[in-house]
Amino acid sequence: MTNMTSKDAILSALQNSAAKVKAMPEINIPVINEPLIPRFEQSLATVTATLIKEDGLNALNQHVAELLAQKNQVMSFVDGVQGNRENPELPHQMQDIDYSVLPGKLGVAENGAIWVELPQAHRVTAFICENLIITLSREKIVANMHQAMKQLDFSQTQFGTFISGPSKTADIEQALVVGAHGACSLRVYLID
Amino acid sequence: MKIALFIPCLVNQMMPDVGIATLEVLEKLGHQVILPEGQTCCGQPMTNSGCFDEAKNTTLKLLNAFKHVECDAIVCPAASCLVAAKENFHKFDNSPSAQIVIDKLYELTEFLHDIAPIKQFNHPVPSKVSLQMSCHGIRMLSLATPSESMGRQFNKVEAVLSAIDALEIVYPDPRDECCGFGGTFAVDEGAVSAKMGKDKAQAHAATGAEYVVGFDPSCLLHLDGMIRRQQLPITTRHIAQILNSAL
Amino acid sequence: MSSAQTKPATHAHKAEIFCRDEQRVNWHSKALWTLREKRDRAASQVPEWETLRKLGSHIKQHSLSHLADYLTEFESNCIANGIQVHWAKDAQEHNQITHNILAKHQVKKLVKSKSMLTEECHLNPYLEQRGIEVIDTDLGERIIQLAGQAPSHIVVPAIHLKKQEVGDLFHEKIGTQAGASDPTYLTRAARAHLREQFLSADAAMTGVNMAIADQGGIIVCTNEGNADMGVNLPSLQLHSMGIDKVIPNMDSAAVLLRTLARNATGQLITTYSSCYKAPKPGGEMHVIIVDNGRSEMLKDKILAKSLKCIRCGGCLNTCPVYRRSGGHSYNYTIPGPIGIAVGAQHDETHSSAWACTLCGSCSFVCPTKVPLDKIIAHQRYLKAQAQTLPYGKRHYMPLVGKLMANKTATNCAMTVARTSLNILPHRLLKPFSGAWGQHRELPQAPKASFDTWFKHNRGQK
Repeated sequence: MTNMTSKDAILSALQNSAAKVKAMPEINIPVINEPLIPRFEQSLATVTATLIKEDGLNALNQHVAELLAQKNQVMSFVDGVQGNRENPELPHQMQDIDYSVLPGKLGVAENGAIWVELPQAHRVTAFICENLIITLSREKIVANMHQAMKQLDFSQTQFGTFISGPSKTADIEQALVVGAHGACSLRVYLID
Repeated sequence: MKIALFIPCLVNQMMPDVGIATLEVLEKLGHQVILPEGQTCCGQPMTNSGCFDEAKNTTLKLLNAFKHVECDAIVCPAASCLVAAKENFHKFDNSPSAQIVIDKLYELTEFLHDIAPIKQFNHPVPSKVSLQMSCHGIRMLSLATPSESMGRQFNKVEAVLSAIDALEIVYPDPRDECCGFGGTFAVDEGAVSAKMGKDKAQAHAATGAEYVVGFDPSCLLHLDGMIRRQQLPITTRHIAQILNSAL
Repeated sequence: MSSAQTKPATHAHKAEIFCRDEQRVNWHSKALWTLREKRDRAASQVPEWETLRKLGSHIKQHSLSHLADYLTEFESNCIANGIQVHWAKDAQEHNQITHNILAKHQVKKLVKSKSMLTEECHLNPYLEQRGIEVIDTDLGERIIQLAGQAPSHIVVPAIHLKKQEVGDLFHEKIGTQAGASDPTYLTRAARAHLREQFLSADAAMTGVNMAIADQGGIIVCTNEGNADMGVNLPSLQLHSMGIDKVIPNMDSAAVLLRTLARNATGQLITTYSSCYKAPKPGGEMHVIIVDNGRSEMLKDKILAKSLKCIRCGGCLNTCPVYRRSGGHSYNYTIPGPIGIAVGAQHDETHSSAWACTLCGSCSFVCPTKVPLDKIIAHQRYLKAQAQTLPYGKRHYMPLVGKLMANKTATNCAMTVARTSLNILPHRLLKPFSGAWGQHRELPQAPKASFDTWFKHNRGQK
């Protein structure tokens, strides 16, 4: 009941708002005409991520085979890529995962962000792993965030995230340190 | 053109040379220049402290000094005072006669760039000058694109000065950070104001320029105090003084 | 900490103390100016930058002027998504609601990611007094939490501390090697230390960067991944948001996501921009919508514009006063230009609104075009109206006004001043010239005013 009261109080206080009334603007930003993949690659380099453009799944499988041979704990949600760990019951059980391999839905050339939405996995999958690998269809790169929002359908989304590079911080004297709380590295494989 | 001079109190009392240079520049350019009587302070020290009641009298007296004065333009060699006058005139008097005055108000550089450009300079000025891009001039009078803004860039101050032969124009780094004067800020926040002024004075001196040149006398007065305290090898000049020596 | 009882000092006083260590001021100012330079480079690479600023401004102003509608729409969509929504009139109610939720789930340890709103509400001490351990997980926030300090910046909260100080603190609190100050080493140590906290937390709480009305979801942006690590381990998640955080849709979010990180640190986008639209399977998600004075600010047309802010911190980085006075001098949780704009009314000393030269750089940096210098000038006006002017202005301003309006009096006074400057040795005048003469040489006074010169040389027509 108190909650109803507070809601009513806030909404009624807003009746007295003097904020200048503004219509919603039309958002119509022209797309810069440039090749998307080079820009995407450049953005990923800026955020200290690596793009593997050629031989997508084969290259990835080769990499995963090496990781497994080095006794890494690898969990994959990408079809055709097999890790050595299954999706556990509790998210906490992923604390020793060295590599998560996840499918990205859409990449954004201007900032290297990749939309990851994976309802079948624990939400922490992309964050708790020591290193992150994302696959992305080369057809699924758009120029900018406006295009990304247009292309993505959020109606069934429960949780999703744009990931641009590995986690990082500069909280100590502005010195950039890659690897804060999320993944310490990111590799992106373009697939056909 | 017939030009009425708006000489702010600071220039009138403490920097008459700036007023003289402004007058001489305009006369050399062939304008008829008058000095309307009864000019008082624009009210900025009070309005910048939120004291509008206290500012009203002096602002209206200044406005009245220009009302019904027959002229084509009112020119002021101080950007900050000009901005304050424009805003305060409007605030305290929204009559048509006030609007006529407001519409004629120009800062000197703005006037020489937009309204009556200088066709030709007669003398070279073989000096290196470091431009003091004071805040109100660039951010409120649009004398130049502030460093924060992206897109098309313009700079009326440089455009006016760059036609002078042998004059070398440089900028301090950072280019247009506030010098720390800020009116009563200089005394209310003495320590920060002094530190800003010191940094700015050193940035100007570090360019190796002979003069700091600006369009806002109050900033120049503050910088002059900082420069002399620190015994830096540079001196301040108002843009009118540079223009005057080139004409 | 015993000074909590005494009245706080003015901004000028705190700034004067900060300025005594000039090397440190230079270091602080440069660190922040570097962020401004990175911002300039990032912005210059977006040809439509100024258009994005305008759009951001319009989107936020539109949202603020239709706030009740958007909040209602947001709430009903959240509920449809299985999110529990709470409304809090003020900080007290926000803290109570939070505590009730945590108590119901017998939460002993809460991990938090950065939220200026929970700082504003002083949530941490409230919960700690009630036996809940609160762990701030953003590295900068964790540093100042361990140091027992308040944030000095809204994006880089520990910017005032040197790495050696962080090293000493970590040595004492989390057992890093004595004397170690390498940022990478310290960050790795914090990663290991906080990982244990994430894994053992019973609940997580974050702030909200944007609340999306037509989705019934929220967006949280971090670089470190601490919000997502925190929220996605325990089953219970809470998110606090000011009423000003709601925007219409994801297209609006796209505009703000393009400018937020670029303007904050010069990054293309934050590493993680996460959209939470439902509780995790079997979990609970709570959103607490907080007013705490915002609806009151909206009643003032000018103050209302300060609520367009998206908390990028760009105005702090560019502010020449903030950089030389530090974030702890403003007598409010949020420092710098935006801190004055939204916090001057909370400053008992009434001085923070004068910690500004009205240079306007902040307004031109702002990604949503908050007219910060105009708002700060307005805060001064409000102080004058309330008769709470600082630094003796209440007494001297009327006198200055009278003097300035009287041409003869001004002339007489200035003639005396000019004469004194000319005939008296400056060392005699210095004690009387206050802050001016303490830091600067006194002006070299001319013999006569321009008026007088003009009469002599041009005569009166």
